[in-house]
Amino acid sequence: MGSDIRFGWTGAIGSVILGATRSEGGTRKISYRVGGGTTLPFLDHAPASSPLVALEICDEPQYWPQIVRNYCGDLVDDVSAWATTAETVYGADLIRLYLTSTRQRNFSDIPLVGKAVEEVLSATGLPLIIEGSNEPGIDSEVFQKCGEAGEGERLLLGTAEAGRYRSIAAAALAYNHSIIAQSPIDINLAKQLNILLREIGIQQDHIMIDPYTGTLGYGFEYSYSAMERIRFSALKGDADLAMPMICSAIDSLTIKEVREADTAYQDEMAVAWEFYAGLAAAVAGAEIICVRHPKTVGRLKKAFTSLKTGSDPTGRI
Amino acid sequence: MALKALDIYKLLPKKNCKECGDPTCLTFAMKLAGGKADVDLCPHLDEQAKAVLGASTRPPIRLVKIGIGERSFAIGEEFVLYRHEKTFYHPPGIFFKVSDTQTMEEVSAVTKRVRDESFIRVGSDLRCNGIALENSSGTKEMFAAAVATVEKAADLPLVLISEKTESLFAALVHCGTYRPLLHAATKENFKEMCALAKHHDCPLVIKARGLEQLAQLAKECALEGVQDLVMDSSPQSLGEFITASTAIRQLAITRAMPDLGYPVFLDATGSDIQDAAIALGIVKYASVIVTAPLSEASAKAALTLRQNIYTDPQKPIQMNPGLYRVGTPGKDAPVLMTVNFSLTFFTLQGYLESTRIPCFMLVVDTEGLSVLTSVAAGKLNETLVRDALIRFGVENEVAHKKLIIPGYAAPLSGRIEEMTGWKVLVGPRDAAEIGEYLEQEWKK
Amino acid sequence: MHTVTFLPGYRKIEVPRETTVLDAAQRAGLNINVVCGGQGKCGKCVVYVQSGKTEFDQQKNLKFFTQEELAQGACLACQATVQGDLQIIIPDSTLIQEQKILIEGLDTGIELHPSVRKYYVELLPPTLSDPSPDLSRLLWGIQKNGGPVAEKMYAPLEALREIPTLLRHSDWKVTGTIALVPGGYRLVDLQENDTSKRLYGAAVDLGSTTVVVYLWDLVAGKMVAVASNYNKQISCGEDILARVNFAKKNGLSKLQALAADSINAALTTAANSAGIDREDIYEVVVAGNTVMTHMLLGIDPGYMIAEPYVPVVRRALSVASGRIGIACNRNGGLFLFPAVSDFIGGDIIADILACGMAEKEEISLLIDIGTNFEVVMGNREWMFSCAGAAGPALEGGEVLFGMRANPGAIDKITIDPATLDPAYSTINGIKPRGLTGSGLIDLLAELLMNCVIDRNGRINTGFNHPRIRTGVHFPEYVVVRAEETDIGKDIVLTENDIKNLIMSKASVHAACVTLMKEAGISRQQITTIYFAGAFGNYLNKMNAATIGLIPEIPISQIKNIGNGAVTGANIALINRRKRKTLDEIATKIAYIELNAEPAFMDEYTSSAFLPHTDLSLFPEVQKMLDTCRLHRG
Ligand code: SF4
Ligand code: FES
Repeated sequence: MGSDIRFGWTGAIGSVILGATRSEGGTRKISYRVGGGTTLPFLDHAPASSPLVALEICDEPQYWPQIVRNYCGDLVDDVSAWATTAETVYGADLIRLYLTSTRQRNFSDIPLVGKAVEEVLSATGLPLIIEGSNEPGIDSEVFQKCGEAGEGERLLLGTAEAGRYRSIAAAALAYNHSIIAQSPIDINLAKQLNILLREIGIQQDHIMIDPYTGTLGYGFEYSYSAMERIRFSALKGDADLAMPMICSAIDSLTIKEVREADTAYQDEMAVAWEFYAGLAAAVAGAEIICVRHPKTVGRLKKAFTSLKTGSDPTGRI
Repeated sequence: MALKALDIYKLLPKKNCKECGDPTCLTFAMKLAGGKADVDLCPHLDEQAKAVLGASTRPPIRLVKIGIGERSFAIGEEFVLYRHEKTFYHPPGIFFKVSDTQTMEEVSAVTKRVRDESFIRVGSDLRCNGIALENSSGTKEMFAAAVATVEKAADLPLVLISEKTESLFAALVHCGTYRPLLHAATKENFKEMCALAKHHDCPLVIKARGLEQLAQLAKECALEGVQDLVMDSSPQSLGEFITASTAIRQLAITRAMPDLGYPVFLDATGSDIQDAAIALGIVKYASVIVTAPLSEASAKAALTLRQNIYTDPQKPIQMNPGLYRVGTPGKDAPVLMTVNFSLTFFTLQGYLESTRIPCFMLVVDTEGLSVLTSVAAGKLNETLVRDALIRFGVENEVAHKKLIIPGYAAPLSGRIEEMTGWKVLVGPRDAAEIGEYLEQEWKK
Repeated sequence: MHTVTFLPGYRKIEVPRETTVLDAAQRAGLNINVVCGGQGKCGKCVVYVQSGKTEFDQQKNLKFFTQEELAQGACLACQATVQGDLQIIIPDSTLIQEQKILIEGLDTGIELHPSVRKYYVELLPPTLSDPSPDLSRLLWGIQKNGGPVAEKMYAPLEALREIPTLLRHSDWKVTGTIALVPGGYRLVDLQENDTSKRLYGAAVDLGSTTVVVYLWDLVAGKMVAVASNYNKQISCGEDILARVNFAKKNGLSKLQALAADSINAALTTAANSAGIDREDIYEVVVAGNTVMTHMLLGIDPGYMIAEPYVPVVRRALSVASGRIGIACNRNGGLFLFPAVSDFIGGDIIADILACGMAEKEEISLLIDIGTNFEVVMGNREWMFSCAGAAGPALEGGEVLFGMRANPGAIDKITIDPATLDPAYSTINGIKPRGLTGSGLIDLLAELLMNCVIDRNGRINTGFNHPRIRTGVHFPEYVVVRAEETDIGKDIVLTENDIKNLIMSKASVHAACVTLMKEAGISRQQITTIYFAGAFGNYLNKMNAATIGLIPEIPISQIKNIGNGAVTGANIALINRRKRKTLDEIATKIAYIELNAEPAFMDEYTSSAFLPHTDLSLFPEVQKMLDTCRLHRG
């Protein structure tokens, strides 16, 4: 009697390369090939790689959750130091830099954006994810600037949406970066955006899907299934969904349960929330898990290691 | 694969005699396909049709009940591998583990925690489910005494963990009529275990490495007359658990190995990161999860995850009604009312964020309907708005009484004003125009 | 009393003070556009006061008029009241234009089998040796002349009262009219002399906006006239929901009377144009949606519009026309089509009868699109149906320059790929005033093929072209420049219009897919797609497929049955045997409530893309798009 799990997949998840080492034309210490799975997460007998954990930081901390500001102290005022610590102390695989400075009213200091990207690039050897502006009016300049500042580094640029993808795509194409394609918790919308991006020339191996992750209790019930469905369709052969996924439950640290927790365990609550959401997201198919609390990084990495050591379910260990 | 209405219809007698309670065979077939009717309702089915239809509608995973009374619960009876295909029905029970070598006080304290701690989210009470008592002492006396302690503290569902039948026997003297889950029958002891389980009518965990071994053991226990089984593949790592658990679910629901059609047991204390094991158990088909007593943070996160995974994903995506903040709104910040259809919410939120005007979003409960449909269906009305204003204490948050409502809700503006006493401003129909609207209308 | 004169045309009418100008105009027989039912909300009933005194709150209606227009005396006919003798100018655009109604060659292959027949008999007067009663004498005579068996015919009391005089007065030469009613054969009329050639019947499509009547000579089996009229209920509310609510507040009788009136008006026009007497119309067959049918019969439709949406009656009904005020022969009969549910009404059953899908082995898909849409799929063995709101975009509503299929509406467009300039045609060939459903679909398809919009319907503002620009709120494409229009404004299609169109088309397509999934069939198994209703008339089928309004099947298999409701009514009128199948069809159809169908929302999102998120469902369209896009580079 055969008791292997046979799903009869005909597709596989594509991969996206993030970061470039010196030999690859960049300055990173490491580069990653994200994706490549051929079955449900963690069931690969020879797993391509386990999910990566990215720590999110920003260049203008007034927009950042209080909990992180308390935990990290002065560090948040110095984006380079923050990036260095993320790599050396917190053990992140990647750094996701939010250019929150662009959210200030009437922001126009575009060169500042370039400077922030350059600083973080030199402060860490990890591959970078850069979140550009939120404002259609300055999108184009901001993304151009980021793209240019990180030329050769194979950045992951965020975030393209169905109504706003042309400027980010232009920057990605011009400087050979990849982009995050975000849609609101729906497999169809995710696919639509991928088709739109394909039609303006973005290669499939330069896209990561962000299906939008509502945190636990705040939309995660839908996000989880959206991710599962995307992974499932990709494995069934839908090439327009066969991109690796990135997930960031950014509301985790600002929801009521965490905000109002007793200060004695506020950090613990924050980490638990990020951890449970992150782990479940990885099981649903996310390949990069982004978190904001430094303590979540190590926990998630440890869990992924334990998950990787799978075995044949039939008992023939 | 579930049969389609038309496939089922082809098997029906096509008499349209209405005896099943449906007007036609076709509508009956639609109900069968949706799992909303029982095949037996049609008296005219031939044997062959019954066989085909019966097999496809019987649950592939057995329903097992644990405990009795208020806190008892059922597990199993699941139909799908992915919740988006239908939904998951029976959330896993989370049991705090105590040992018979601990002091009575300790045991009793943990029991009381499970008895009393609850946490309310979106109207439901989230709780852990029971106590798993381990016979670490190896003696039946201590085990029995510990059971007595637990029983004295609360009527909770129990898992009794011991390899010794005599320990279980002694424990069952105290709790045998309360349907505790016995852990565990193995290849070696299953005959005696089955006898015990049968005698007390208790569910039984069977434990083996490897799926074929588990299936074999399940078959043997069934022959002994015990069918309320739960399966423990005793994984050595999280990776092993996910592989085994997925395989069991897949093989059971496809009926490739019907002997695996039982709920799954997971002992998270075996993992070096217990939280990871719990999270994994919740999303990947565990039905009984045993863990060391959880910190408040872990318990809340785990229970919330469980609630999320076991809600029906096919219901329209809803936000929790409430007062949401965009930026850090002050006393003079605008209040925008919207519905709890998540796409509406997220779209509006997105546009509001980009306006950089701090504000409040008052999300009212239209059961996930959009503005247009909820107005049309009468779900969105003045009472709902008034109640939301009161319930979420909007008056304490702002120093004005002005409410911006969506353009499509304009017909309600008068009635909302009357009922709430708030001044209603009708916003744009399209969220994209909200920035401009706020600039022009709110600022002046 | 004051005299109101309407220009041009100098129609005059006397009305009391305080009458609204709208009322006066309607009494003068002018068809004014009253989209909002006279509530002062739609701004469509614009008239100009040339002389005389009216009362009109200018302040309140500022949004509809410019200062200049107000200076010229503009006002809303429904709001202005008569305060003295008046001269009013009614601009063309305020009048309801006779909408193009397709009087398609009806499939007259239908056998003539009406349910009423006339028999002319010359009877022998009674004698002492032949003293049989008048009635038996009459009925035997009818039987002898090919009528039903005498014993099976029944004469109501009213008839019995008339028989003795009539027979004698006519010297025993009379024409009897026998109708087959649910109780059997019935003598419905008796006339002196030979009137047997004067037997007419009417088939009626009772729509919520328009009532269409086809008048038939039931002896010759020939159609003799067609007429249509606006549904007068519009004054109680533009859409059905508004009317039901009106009925809840003000009772049903007004709506009942207006429904009957609307039919009567069309019936009169038809009878006049055919030169016949309405008294010679003996049967009226009505197909209408469930709410309309209820209202016509004076049955409360109120429980139908809220959960759990149950109609009072769904089976076919026969009633005496006199009881509901239909102006035909006083003893005439009315036959109403059965319904499936509140949403799938008699009009759809008539569509099904018209296209013949219930008789075929192959699977057909029937789509009827208006503000609401109905979809039926199946064959002679089984059928599924569903209905939903398409939103008014496909009919030209909720689109900035959208309009109904009235003169001046652009109904066809192509765009030159090289210049991006459109070539179009309008209804009646006059200068364009707006875009109608089919024009909008063409436009959407053409813009997509030329990469002006992406598959999400977003206009590519990166295009450097004078027709593509950013409007006040949204990017837009200029279809016709102001100077070429009849309205003196640029006719544009905005991104928001496109969004509304995509939402509408997505609901229709999602409904089709939901039925297909329920039945477990693929698009390849659909042999024919039938479009019913005015919507299909001007539709470019290829473009309908290109934007993903309907599942892709070979274009030659997409058929337009025009006004299927009236066609079905015609068939049932001419051949009573066809009526027998109707109840059976209606019970056979399973209704799927889309709102209760979790998969529908998913299908909808997936359909809200051009043509669809799953491109493999549109292989031909995809190929075609690829080639045109290749040309664009
Ligand atoms: S009882 Fe059976 S035969 Fe009769 S209508 Fe129902 S399904 Fe059809
Ligand atoms: S404004 Fe609508 S009819 Fe007068």
